[in-house]
Amino acid sequence: MRKAVSVLLVCMLAAVLFLSGCAKKTGTTGPIQIALQAPITGDYAYEGQMAKQSVEVAVEMINKAGGVLGRQIEVTVVDDASTPKDSAIAAQKAVSMKVVAVIGSYGSSVTEPAADIYEKNKMVSVGYGCTAVRLTMDKQRNYFFRTCGRDDAQGLFFAKYAVETMGAKRIGIMHDNSTFGKGVAEEAKKALQPYIDAKKCEIVYYDAITPGEKDFSAAVTKLGATKPDVWYFTGYYPEAGLLIRQARDAGLTCPFIGGNAAVNEDFVKIAGLDVAKGALTTEEPLVIDVTTTLAGQFRDLYQQKFNTLPDSPWPVYAADALYAIVGAIGKANSTDADTIATTLHTNMTGVEGITGPLLFTAQGDREDVHQVMYEVAANGKLVLHKP
Amino acid sequence: MATFFEQLINGLTIGSFYALVALGYSMVYGVMKLINFAHGDLFALGSYLGYTLLIASSSWVTVHFGLWGGMAIAMLFAFVGIGLAGVLMERIAYRPVYPAGRLSLVVSALGMSIFLQNGIMAIWGSRPQAYPAAVVPSTRFSLLGLPVTTLQVVILLLSFTLMLVIWFIVEKTTFGAAIRATALDRSTATLMGIDVRVVIFFIFALGPALGGIAGVMNGMYYRAISFNMGWTYGLKAFTATILGGIGNIPGAMIGGLLLGLMESLFAGYVSGAWKNVFVFVILIAVLLWRPTGLLGEKTAEKV
Repeated sequence: MRKAVSVLLVCMLAAVLFLSGCAKKTGTTGPIQIALQAPITGDYAYEGQMAKQSVEVAVEMINKAGGVLGRQIEVTVVDDASTPKDSAIAAQKAVSMKVVAVIGSYGSSVTEPAADIYEKNKMVSVGYGCTAVRLTMDKQRNYFFRTCGRDDAQGLFFAKYAVETMGAKRIGIMHDNSTFGKGVAEEAKKALQPYIDAKKCEIVYYDAITPGEKDFSAAVTKLGATKPDVWYFTGYYPEAGLLIRQARDAGLTCPFIGGNAAVNEDFVKIAGLDVAKGALTTEEPLVIDVTTTLAGQFRDLYQQKFNTLPDSPWPVYAADALYAIVGAIGKANSTDADTIATTLHTNMTGVEGITGPLLFTAQGDREDVHQVMYEVAANGKLVLHKP
Repeated sequence: MATFFEQLINGLTIGSFYALVALGYSMVYGVMKLINFAHGDLFALGSYLGYTLLIASSSWVTVHFGLWGGMAIAMLFAFVGIGLAGVLMERIAYRPVYPAGRLSLVVSALGMSIFLQNGIMAIWGSRPQAYPAAVVPSTRFSLLGLPVTTLQVVILLLSFTLMLVIWFIVEKTTFGAAIRATALDRSTATLMGIDVRVVIFFIFALGPALGGIAGVMNGMYYRAISFNMGWTYGLKAFTATILGGIGNIPGAMIGGLLLGLMESLFAGYVSGAWKNVFVFVILIAVLLWRPTGLLGEKTAEKV
């Protein structure tokens, strides 16, 4: 009996593996297959879900407008569960599905192993939330692109804003030791160096806190003792909310600027509106503040389908990754990976996405990604900050 | 110098949370020789119970009894609720496993921890929740030139009172003697006419209940609560327990306070990034010097 059961289980397993192995293949007719690798489960599930919804909206918009090469687009989701390990599995799955190109993924450390697998299999992948500099600058990847900006751009934006716009002399930088948080902090430090050399400002505090903890009073007291003019925190929102609350309770009144993962609705909820109000954040523009025609259409359709709008910039970059892929296919008049990659690198003039023109550098970075400063308004929503 | 005293107060506040959670760990270990890994999650559950009471009544409790009254009722609610949860946990997850030995007990405790954490996530969701500002006392004043909140003072006073009460019960009362006797040798204690079941019931009610109170205080102090917060606090409190000497009540208090002080002084004067490394190096150093912890008694363990 037991043997029969195990044989049955093995057969079922084999069948499942077989079925998932020989999934839809893209030929020269029928819909063009594209995969979305996103964190549908795990720590960043909220971001993954929004990315999925955004790509769904983009697919509908593209298909309504006639698709590309006279064919429709079809997107399959593979879940990387927010971890590098599952990311490799998800990437293998996308490769075995023989899709034309892949959108993804969100986190930098999650994207890296997947990008290597796509590279090896000569498959174009376009990241949408992975901002770590090393992804494109560490080694040459011919098939990897990203529609989002880079951490060094954010560091530069912060440095320029803090010194030139705010006139800050004493700057405190705090990170959370994560790849992303530390990366942005290092870039900000680097970008401040010319100002420091010109004796325009100094870094009076540079240290990390431990994510997952609740008490940051020691760090806040230490920061307060250095009397900073501005305080930049480059970690994630759960700690950012606690930090600003504890800092204000301890009587620290200097302006707070968060990195692009520090300020969102949950930040306001954790900190309480009374102290969150007026907090600043260096971010890519939210879709609600993007003025392109496509953005308007995207907002209408997203609102109609999901009755809300993405409250972070990244999901829209996922939709733009699809626009970049489809645009390249159209311009190249081919679904061949090498041709698409070359087109993405060199021949994207005139291809527009939701967030603007989709042009890429030789490393695969998006050209002209703008950072903006957001402010938590009196009603707790993020609004563009006017200095 | 002002900074130093600020860091001292920071350290004492966080230390008193560690100490309260560590007390529960230590009491259960002392009597049962069981490391109750689910203890941190009971603490988190306490936070959520207090939160739910204040939210569900849409601040009714606070409106009718005032900020401090609301806080006291929420704490009482968590105290009773988590006490019951502790007793229930012993009945369901531990008592059936006693005959199977300590290893099975530890596995059962780990299972309980995962169960509680996921249960909290299933009920309250994985996004962090926050105690609304309307139910948290937030008067600030200046104490000898240091900015403190009344809440901080109340938390410190209440924690120390609770610790003293527990110490008094265990060390100075007849029932405390029964607890200590049970901890020393359960079968001999039974022969002496001690109802060991009552002692175990009491331990599993009071230990977690203290954690429940600490949970509400923690939620009010930091505002934000999350389903996995029990893990961090459980780990830190466990460290505090080991540092002070496991199974030893004053040891748990001293371990907790010491851990809090070390954390904030190191993070304040040396480096926040290296704080945990430092704390655990100290822990190892202490264990090399005194393997049973600072106040732990020398025992010949039969393993």
